[in-house]
Formats: sequence, structure tokens, C-alpha cells
Amino acid sequence: MRGTSGDGAAEPELGLSLSEVGEYAVISVSGEIDMYTAPQLREAVRQLSSEGRMRVAIDLTPTEFCDSTGLGVLIGARRRLSDSGGSLLVVCANPRIRKLLDLTGLDKVLDVREAVPSE
Amino acid sequence: MNGSKHDRAGGRTEAVTVRFAFTPAAAYVRAARLVAADVAAHAGVATGLLDEVRQAVGEACTRAVLRHRDRGLEDLVRVEFSIGDRFIAKITDNAQDLRARSSGRIGAGVGGGDARANDHDAIEEDTLSEEITLIVLGGLVEDLVVTGPDGNGGTTVSMSWPLPGSGSATDH
Repeated sequence: MRGTSGDGAAEPELGLSLSEVGEYAVISVSGEIDMYTAPQLREAVRQLSSEGRMRVAIDLTPTEFCDSTGLGVLIGARRRLSDSGGSLLVVCANPRIRKLLDLTGLDKVLDVREAVPSE
Repeated sequence: MNGSKHDRAGGRTEAVTVRFAFTPAAAYVRAARLVAADVAAHAGVATGLLDEVRQAVGEACTRAVLRHRDRGLEDLVRVEFSIGDRFIAKITDNAQDLRARSSGRIGAGVGGGDARANDHDAIEEDTLSEEITLIVLGGLVEDLVVTGPDGNGGTTVSMSWPLPGSGSATDH
């Protein structure tokens, strides 16, 4: 998922790959999530929910970098999915990003797992 | 952009500054945080702290861009790194009022023609993100000071990290 912006500059890469594990639609995120790339992740979740996929897992294990904008997207996604009767699972075995979730207290707000439950 | 003046044989000879500014757009935050990590590495910040520097400077720049965007300000976000006894990073915005006090968010983006002003989810997450930036910075950076806004300018996030030998600068 790489492209060019209007001025021809290369856009930072954010890799989003979709899969299904058990009852979850899984978005695996590679690359860097920041205020520039976060809208792509937000849109991916929105697209899934518009297709009626209300159980979504975002896998941050392969993510190289995530900032507060990315955390904002996680919180927004959780709220939107919950409001629609769905749920968000955050999958993260990545210590750098786990630290971020821990120090913001989001590890207690979000459903964070090491892996997507297959059942 | 200045380089580092670091006399490896006899300690630091002089404080060095790297300073730049960027248009408050999301696309340039990545560049700022990568420069931060590179300058910090060049200054001698411990490898284990470079991720922290990158994350913290990225958060501070994100916060500054959000504050400018919220007000429709196109002024540049200013970034300054100083290498002396410690590695110091300062990120300064020009938004005079705290974003949290801006309850009239419906009017956000006026003058900027920003279509995002109509994107409720994005705005809500941006609001959230600015609050989270400070939480992240507070949890991440031991030496953190946020000043302002004052009458003439916005806020400045100042952070510093130790440099090797800073405690032995007088080792001659």
C-alpha cells in the first residue's frame, strides 16, 4: 500500500493485510502508524464494519512504530464497533508497542491479546 | 543545519544546535522524528534511548501539528535540538490557547478549508490524540517540561536525555 502524494513524494508505507481467524476479521499492520498513515487504518476498520464485520482484530505485532494517533484510532474503532454490537481485539506481541499501551493505561481499556483466539 | 561538535578525545568543546521548522502537516512528522533519532545518535545518546527520543519527538510534533490544525494556523512548527551536557529537544507551536479549552470545535478548520472538519470520527480521534500525546510524553520522558501558551506564542515541549560523559565533562 504505497503511493505518491500530490507533490510526487513517496508516501510512508503502511501495510494492511486482511485475513480471517475464527470469528474475527484480522487487520495485520506493518510499517509505521502515525498521524499521516493512521487514516488508512481507520478507513480499513470502517470498511469492515460497513460490510457487517463487527468482530475485528487489529494485529500490531508486525508494526514497526505506533504513536498516539494510532492509539486514537484503536480507541475510536473500539467505540464504533462496540456501539454497533461488535468488538475490537488488539493483538500485540510487540514489546515496544505493548509498552506504549501499558504506559497510557490502554492495556486495561482495550482487549489486548498475544494472539487472535481461533475459536 | 549544524552538525555536532563533539570532541571525542577531550569531551564536548561547545554546545551545538540543530534547528529546523516545518509546515504543520502530518506528512512531515515522520521526517522530524527520524531527524531527532539521527541527531541524538550522532550526539551519543545511548542506543537504548533512541526509540524513546524518536517516539517522544514524534509525539510532541504530532501535538504541535494538531494544535495548529485545530486553529487553522499555517505557521511553521519549530524544532530545536541542543547538544551540550545533555541532548535537549524543544518543539514549539504557535497555538496560543490550549486545545482542550477549544469547545467550539464545529468551527475548527475555518480558514484552512479542511474537509476533515466535517469528519467527526477523525476530529474526535485527533482530540483524543492530543491528550494521549501528553500522557505518552509524561510516561516516556523523565525530563519533560511543557510551557505556555504565553501572550506572544504557543507552547513549547522541552525534553532532555543524558549523554555519555556528561557526568565526567570535567575529566581533564
